[in-house]
Amino acid sequence: MRHTPLRCPVAKSLAGRDPQTAFTDKPLAVRCAALAVTLAFVSFSATRPHYGGVLRVEMREAIESAEPPQTGSLAALTAGFTISQWEGGRRAIYSADPAAAGGRPFLDSVEVQMGRPLHDQSIALNLGKADLVEFDASDAQRAGSPHKVWSSSPVRVLLLLFGPRVEDTHVREALALAVDRTSIHNVMLQRQGEISGALLPQWISGEAFLFPATTDVPKARSMTAALPPAARTFTLGVADPANRRIADRIALNARDAGLTISPPPPGAPGDVRLLEVRIRSADPATALAQLCSALGLAAPPRMDSPEALYAAERALLENYRVIPLFHLPVVYGVNPRVKGAPGITPLGEWRFENLWVEAARP
Amino acid sequence: MQCVIIAAVKGWHAVLSALLFFIPGGASAADDGNGAARELARKTAAFIGKGEPVSVAWNNLGSLGSAALLDARNAFEAALKEAGCRISDVAPLTEARVTLSENRAQFLLVEEIRRGDERQVWFASWRRGETIPASSSGVVLEKKMVWEQDEAMLDVAFPGDSMVVLSPSKVTLYQRGSGSWSAAASVPLSSPRPWPRDLRGHIRVNAANFQTYLPGLACSGGVDPALSFECKASDEPWVLESGSRAMLLGYYAAGRNYFDGRVISQAGAKKNVGPFYAAASVQEQGQSLWLLTLVDGRTQIFDASFEPAGSVASWGSDIAGTDAHCGNGSQVLATRPGDGTSTDAVQAFSIVNRSATPLSTPLELPGPVTALWPSGGSAVLAIVHNLATGRYEAYAITVSCG
Repeated sequence: MRHTPLRCPVAKSLAGRDPQTAFTDKPLAVRCAALAVTLAFVSFSATRPHYGGVLRVEMREAIESAEPPQTGSLAALTAGFTISQWEGGRRAIYSADPAAAGGRPFLDSVEVQMGRPLHDQSIALNLGKADLVEFDASDAQRAGSPHKVWSSSPVRVLLLLFGPRVEDTHVREALALAVDRTSIHNVMLQRQGEISGALLPQWISGEAFLFPATTDVPKARSMTAALPPAARTFTLGVADPANRRIADRIALNARDAGLTISPPPPGAPGDVRLLEVRIRSADPATALAQLCSALGLAAPPRMDSPEALYAAERALLENYRVIPLFHLPVVYGVNPRVKGAPGITPLGEWRFENLWVEAARP
Repeated sequence: MQCVIIAAVKGWHAVLSALLFFIPGGASAADDGNGAARELARKTAAFIGKGEPVSVAWNNLGSLGSAALLDARNAFEAALKEAGCRISDVAPLTEARVTLSENRAQFLLVEEIRRGDERQVWFASWRRGETIPASSSGVVLEKKMVWEQDEAMLDVAFPGDSMVVLSPSKVTLYQRGSGSWSAAASVPLSSPRPWPRDLRGHIRVNAANFQTYLPGLACSGGVDPALSFECKASDEPWVLESGSRAMLLGYYAAGRNYFDGRVISQAGAKKNVGPFYAAASVQEQGQSLWLLTLVDGRTQIFDASFEPAGSVASWGSDIAGTDAHCGNGSQVLATRPGDGTSTDAVQAFSIVNRSATPLSTPLELPGPVTALWPSGGSAVLAIVHNLATGRYEAYAITVSCG
């Protein structure tokens, strides 16, 4: 039989990727008809992973370093991929490592766009221009979204950290009692994560419930009533503008307790700061030590039992220099074409080696 | 047992005035929740004194169900009674709250006890055990778990009276003794090239000998008188059986998880049918058909000449044939579509007029099926990655015509 060169426009592109779809032993009409059948079934998924394809990821953080980072989400990619292009602060491309432990990843590459505002990420996901984007509380709760949502365990600790200027323990404790965590959790955080008075989340320590997170405004007022106005007045800084609204609400709560809170002057950190600290280990002792390091607190003593861990955490919290508020998950919106085991660990770390994208063909 | 007086404080939420640690020498975790509850009860009895009442509130913050909490509560109350104390809600001087909690490594029973301004917190812990997997049974398909382990399994076979488990790192021979399998010998596996992700492998048994196919390797071994196993680099095709009679040779794509599409039929005809994951043969009205799950998600039906004769759209990528004949033709077992993140099921189908007809209700499995191979003529071997336990389980699935 004489063979006619393949001329179906779609077939050409497919044939370039997959020699098996060239249908070279059939006449053109048969080949195109067969190809149409093939394409009609493209949307069907199978249990086994596909090889090939690019995972398009967007992130808010813009890492400006000249070299790819050695820690954090991007560094985690090197478990299965090697960096093939790095444009600090803007873009990174990681290619599948054929010698990766556990075998070459199914994806050909991961393309990461950095410095993307959350709103723009959401739009990119909706337009199908991104496969994996960061979600905020409202994105995650949006009903009727066609996207998959991947959520880690609570690993972001939102807390208040007092600087040295606020010396009176009663003032600090009054603020801890004044914050209406329930209201903030319900409205601003859309009930994401957990309210907590502990540094370590319940899933890591099993002991978070022992640390109270109750609101007691009358008690807070009674603690500040006898203090002079200057001692009850301080500034509240916010490390991440995304948490500005929560800081404003805390300032309102504080007013009910007789405290006067205002924003710090430009460039100043604030007498107390609303911070978010990420937990990077599921081992409670390691996680607590890392939190202390991140917050500039003294390293806790050895913690090799639940009792020692509890004692260490209590010791860190007893002077109210640190007021834990919430434990929040890391949440991603994911294009439905992305398949495979969840691409994040309970700690929110990226694990893309086992992902594949549906449109890809071998 | 880890039971420690952790703190004595003034006021329920007051700042700690002192920390008192007492860790008994050789402290270790309790064996289980009941042991932990009894230890807390002993501490409680020592704290409140013989004959004194205590009120106890219980709370469950863990994943263990209410039955586990009830067990712990019963053990706690029995131990407290043994120690001469009594539980009462009528004006007790001492109030306790016991919480069943957990972290990733262990379960915790935490008791907060308060008498006046004095408060103490005690912990008792025990290591997390295996979760009992949920099971289900089908009406026509029957499953029996034959082996489970932490490491991935690629295939399990039964040469002679033995069992051979193929894992990515080794081949292990098990022999039956006093009703259970025990490891008799093991041979490590090594490959000149890194294994592909989603590694696949297959054991084909011939009496006490067996062949093993792995990407880029062909191995042969035996179990009599002892385990022997040798591999060599090979690009030879794998023998793909369906039941005990039908056979197909398929070339496996190096570094991938599928066959590259080149097949050789039992009659010796060579064809290129496109990349596929699995193959099974069925009989329809006396005619043999081959079903191949293609990498695009379709299952293509081929006639005996390997010409396309229909397709099935809604199966997963793993199928296997058996010798069972329920009704007019033979059956093929198929997984359902998924992406490896949810539980799976195997269902029996027959091919009628070149389309698939379900014959059984789906046999639910506790995780995605990672391998499905014929196992002798009448059974199929399914490897399941149990989502609840994280372990790999091998099931022998048989078709019963009912």
